[in-house]
Amino acid sequence: MVWAGKGKTAVVGLGMSKLTRRADKPLGALALDACYAAIADAGLKPSDIDGLATYPDQPFRGAGNRDGEDLVNALYIMTHGELAPDIKWYAQISTGMIASAPIEGVNALISGACNYVLFWRAMHIPRGTYNSFRGYQAGGDGQFGAPYGHVHGYQTHSMAYRHYLNKYNQKREKMAALVTNSRKNANLNPNAFFHDQPMSVEDYLNARMIAEPLALFDCDVPIEGCTALVMTTADRAKDLKNKPAYIAGYGQNTAHRPEYLTYMIDDYLEAGRPHAGKIYERAGMGPKDIDVAQLYDGFSPSTLYWLEAAGFCGEGEALDFVQDGNVSLTGSLPLNTFGGSLSEGRLHGMGHLAEAVRQVTDRAEGRQIAGANTSIAIDGSPLLRGSGMIFTREP
Amino acid sequence: MTSETPRRVVPQPDALTQPFWDAAAEGKLVVQRCQACGFWSHPPRIMCNKCHSLDMKWEPVSGKGRLYTWSVMHMQSITGFEDRVPYTTLLVELDEQPKLLLLSYLAGRDEGLEIGQRCEVYFDKVEDFTLPQFRVLK
Repeated sequence: MVWAGKGKTAVVGLGMSKLTRRADKPLGALALDACYAAIADAGLKPSDIDGLATYPDQPFRGAGNRDGEDLVNALYIMTHGELAPDIKWYAQISTGMIASAPIEGVNALISGACNYVLFWRAMHIPRGTYNSFRGYQAGGDGQFGAPYGHVHGYQTHSMAYRHYLNKYNQKREKMAALVTNSRKNANLNPNAFFHDQPMSVEDYLNARMIAEPLALFDCDVPIEGCTALVMTTADRAKDLKNKPAYIAGYGQNTAHRPEYLTYMIDDYLEAGRPHAGKIYERAGMGPKDIDVAQLYDGFSPSTLYWLEAAGFCGEGEALDFVQDGNVSLTGSLPLNTFGGSLSEGRLHGMGHLAEAVRQVTDRAEGRQIAGANTSIAIDGSPLLRGSGMIFTREP
Repeated sequence: MTSETPRRVVPQPDALTQPFWDAAAEGKLVVQRCQACGFWSHPPRIMCNKCHSLDMKWEPVSGKGRLYTWSVMHMQSITGFEDRVPYTTLLVELDEQPKLLLLSYLAGRDEGLEIGQRCEVYFDKVEDFTLPQFRVLK
């Protein structure tokens, strides 16, 4: 049944800080840059903003917890943001994935809790401790992994990917098509970290291994930076300067997980299908209705899992589906048109949301898919967790 | 008297997991099993992952399984494993139940490994702990 909230809310402004490896100012300042840019882009004043949503947690080992330095909590922007004197509503989410926070914003707007929601996602690279496990003891589920030299998400993902390649009798070399396609798109995206760096198939195949079969270019590039957006109701959006990107539907990963080993090796279809299914059902759509797809690529195989779980191709067919330009800007399903997390930078799913907004409002400079009416953005692996939205040109 | 800092990351057991490590110290591999429905859970859980019963008990398993997948690690980012890269981490599926998975460490690379190969448990002393490990029968 189509969701009553379909088309009732929209994104009306976007802003980004620069994406770099080492920012020249603290993360909180980058977040304010992005937030003010999004507010100005929407044609609003900071004092118009009376609702906040964010997903602050940093998704790697070795993350600190200093607000404004290591991450940017709702409290930081409330304090430093010069926004409405009395913020009416906020949500700070740490489960699901990035879209889980604007999902809360959508529901707040529909319920009338506030007029405008500012949503941001800030990413930090701490010096020295990024992704290192330096403890001498591992408790919880980790006690069954760390003593064996298994700790990191990329290790779990590499195991799942090997399992996938073996199951469908595929070779990792075929992933070159997807990764180089995303890099080509990044070369057209002025915001992308790798905007000026092309990648050949040889570059991809020669990259050093991280945890086999994942090599360097199968992993997204960590960056420091922030992207923000402003949402409001469709009624208010009509009077603002930008074309609204209407939210047609959303979904979250709510799969039951009977097995659990430090980080799940599980059937991605079991988790991903109902997740994508919820997004489609609310929007009254199916995969054939999607013009442009932004599918999570924290690790390159996640995109394969989403292509299959979201019904763009059959089970086990994704590596073949991405060959021969099929997912290029001129292909049958333009994919990760901004370069993805792989080549734009690790915004942890925020880049996918922002690009979906741009594509349905003709703002994807240099890589616009002409007449794109619908774009889906799904974040998460989908082995573990996720959230997503469909944006449309018309309500 | 002092206790040496472990040179390699070791388990930090709690009340729930202590029996696993106690059994390993005696050369036994045990997994938690729901007494209501028979479902095996690893890592151990307070409540059955399948039927939600609280009646969970540790039971011995055969120690036999198959190689489900593996990874060859190249990053020097885990305490005590920095000098061991590249090394291999194995995921072994026990015969007792589909997707009942345990991790194992294999020194060096993955020459000759194939998904589906038979595995069997052995016990490996690390600091004050005994870790169940799996050898792959190639």
